[in-house]
Amino acid sequence: MQQQYDVVVVGAGFAGPVAAKKCAEAGLKTLMLERSENPGEKVISGLTIPVYGFLFGPSFIRDGNPPIERPVDGIRNYVIYDIKTSDIDIVELRIPRPLSPVMAFGYNAYCKPFIEWEVKKALESGAELRTSTTAVDVIRENGCIKGIVTDRGENIRAGIVINCEGSQGILAVKAGIREKYPPEAISLADTYDYECPKEVIDKVFGHTLRFCWGFDEQMIAPPLGHGNGLMSWPYRNSIHWMQDQCLALDRGQVPNLVRLFDEYHENITSQLPWWRDEIAPYAGMRARMWEGFEIFVGLDDRLRNLPNVADGMILVGDAAGLESTGLCDGVPAAWFSADIAADVAIEALKADDTSAAFLKKYAKRMKAHPIIQWTITCRGRWNLRKAQESHQRKDLKGGVNYQFGPGILTHVGTPLTRCILGAMRKDLLVMSKWVKMFIRYYYNWEHERFGGERLSERPGVKGTQGLALLLFNIVVIVLSPLSLVLAWLLAPLAWAVNPFNKLLQPLIELVLRGWIKMEPLFRSLTTLTINSVKQSNPSIFNISK
Amino acid sequence: MVGKSQKFPGVEWVGDTGNFIRIDEAKCTGCSNCLKVCLGRCFEIRNKLAAIKSLDECMECAACWYVCGEGAVDFSWPPGGTGYRSDWG
Ligand SMILES: Cc1cc2nc3c(=O)[nH]c(=O)nc-3n(C[C@H](O)[C@H](O)[C@H](O)COP(=O)(O)OP(=O)(O)OC[C@H]3O[C@@H](n4cnc5c(N)ncnc54)[C@H](O)[C@@H]3O)c2cc1C
Ligand code: SF4
Ligand code: SF4
Repeated sequence: MQQQYDVVVVGAGFAGPVAAKKCAEAGLKTLMLERSENPGEKVISGLTIPVYGFLFGPSFIRDGNPPIERPVDGIRNYVIYDIKTSDIDIVELRIPRPLSPVMAFGYNAYCKPFIEWEVKKALESGAELRTSTTAVDVIRENGCIKGIVTDRGENIRAGIVINCEGSQGILAVKAGIREKYPPEAISLADTYDYECPKEVIDKVFGHTLRFCWGFDEQMIAPPLGHGNGLMSWPYRNSIHWMQDQCLALDRGQVPNLVRLFDEYHENITSQLPWWRDEIAPYAGMRARMWEGFEIFVGLDDRLRNLPNVADGMILVGDAAGLESTGLCDGVPAAWFSADIAADVAIEALKADDTSAAFLKKYAKRMKAHPIIQWTITCRGRWNLRKAQESHQRKDLKGGVNYQFGPGILTHVGTPLTRCILGAMRKDLLVMSKWVKMFIRYYYNWEHERFGGERLSERPGVKGTQGLALLLFNIVVIVLSPLSLVLAWLLAPLAWAVNPFNKLLQPLIELVLRGWIKMEPLFRSLTTLTINSVKQSNPSIFNISK
Repeated sequence: MVGKSQKFPGVEWVGDTGNFIRIDEAKCTGCSNCLKVCLGRCFEIRNKLAAIKSLDECMECAACWYVCGEGAVDFSWPPGGTGYRSDWG
């Protein structure tokens, strides 16, 4: 049996629904194929989605109410020189109070509910979904991909295939478009999920992620620069916990991860003071899973430049090798690339040209995206291996600071500025949408109100918040011509942000540290901000479509 | 059919996956790399070569496929709707 679609999207993970929604909105007959029975239940992740994914990603996510587990304000790194004597330094990258926790560094989420929400949005826009269906091959005619063969033996024809199959890329390898990654580029993540009372998480973590790094011989974490130390994510009533190690070391040796992961887990959970004393007594293991991810794919020129288009197919997100080599995130790049892929697919179908030559537009636009570019070339995590070589405390602390501490501003400053200015040029009201997003997301988290595009009003709730937001909107509108001019004028200078931050790094760190130290002074202001968001009426931050 | 594991709680294995991972004995050198990275302990060595012990606790991570330099691990996804699932990923 043959069926014909304009667009077939393989994989309904983080990227797939974003591409499908946009194509369906453009009036294209669009089908998502997903191998799991329910979307999201085969996706294993961290997961903090950094705020830039929400700010610069698909507007339906920014302006919607996706289910989140906790807004996070930053990362507290434990730099462990000797765990036995508790010789530990702290490196902190955090949005200080009273800006945080309403203004967030990122949002934690479980994959399944988040992806289900995305899929629901794509379906509402007219896309179709077929689950329990694996794409096993492509239909080729005269060398051009014309659709998908499923494991049920169906031939589904498509004007274009958007491949969002995730990191293993089995379909793309089978179709001869990409190749299997070498094991040094893939890290295997041993992931635990612990249930823990919310009050305990509020008290110990607050809204801050906790990462731990230590010299190799401590055996509390994978070797520096060959994976990640312990990363722990506070959720609402649970803690996500992960350690990951590359499948091969420098000279190609494959480590015995079955033994090592158990050893790291045992050593760190029994010796890390805050875990042992403050979390372990209250935490119960609920799940253990593992999954590989493309830790260093982007650092290898050849792998980074593997094709991400073919005649009739565009590859997106992890399927295009876009997972971060620095921070461990892949969702923002999956969203950005899905958005661009949909634009190019729509153009290609309009022009009746789905050749790889036409689709190269996608590759070009995707690679020009400032955050994607930064994400897949960042060397900070890889460089941590140098700290092991020198075995100097300052190198370990400095390396952690560069990638996971305030030092990140010396390399993320320019891409972030470019994205901010680009968004301001495209949408004069974007700043007010960002502010509404921060408020809405925090409100949703506090009240556990997720789901629809618009939140229902809460009758009887009155306050001055609406007025304040209205005033802010008016200021944004009044100043919009000026901000537009500024956005155009400053764009050519965005390159200077990184060197500028580098120059001022000691000062920036001093100010940040000082501000964090002074946070107790802002306690009442923070409570006031939180309460005012909690008590506001959703009408003020619903975005009308 | 739903399978659960003592060692790996929070995950279920549904349906009949069949043998979606196979070892090509002609290519296998018995190096044990696949055994070292398979947290589900799906492999064993039989007659000096790798063999699938059971895929009942396979998380479909493909680590075995990545580390086999000989191309002896033939990896594909299990049929749609079967294999592992979790609410906590
Ligand atoms: C342990 C771990 C921790 C991570 N932590 C973070 C983090 O903290 N922050 C962050 O931003 N990112 C994180 N990532 C990365 C992030 O999870 C990925 O970048 C993101 O999921 C990529 O989205 P995607 O849509 O490209 O692929 P996926 O989300 O993997 O979706 C792929 C989908 O395709 C389906 N599929 C695959 N093959 C087929 C087929 N042949 N036919 C039909 N369906 C198919 C799969 O079932 C899946 O639903 C982490 C990843 C891992 C593994
Ligand atoms: S990794 Fe490959 S060659 Fe080595 S034992 Fe496993 S299947 Fe055989
Ligand atoms: S896919 Fe992963 S869990 Fe399954 S057999 Fe291979 S290494 Fe083991």
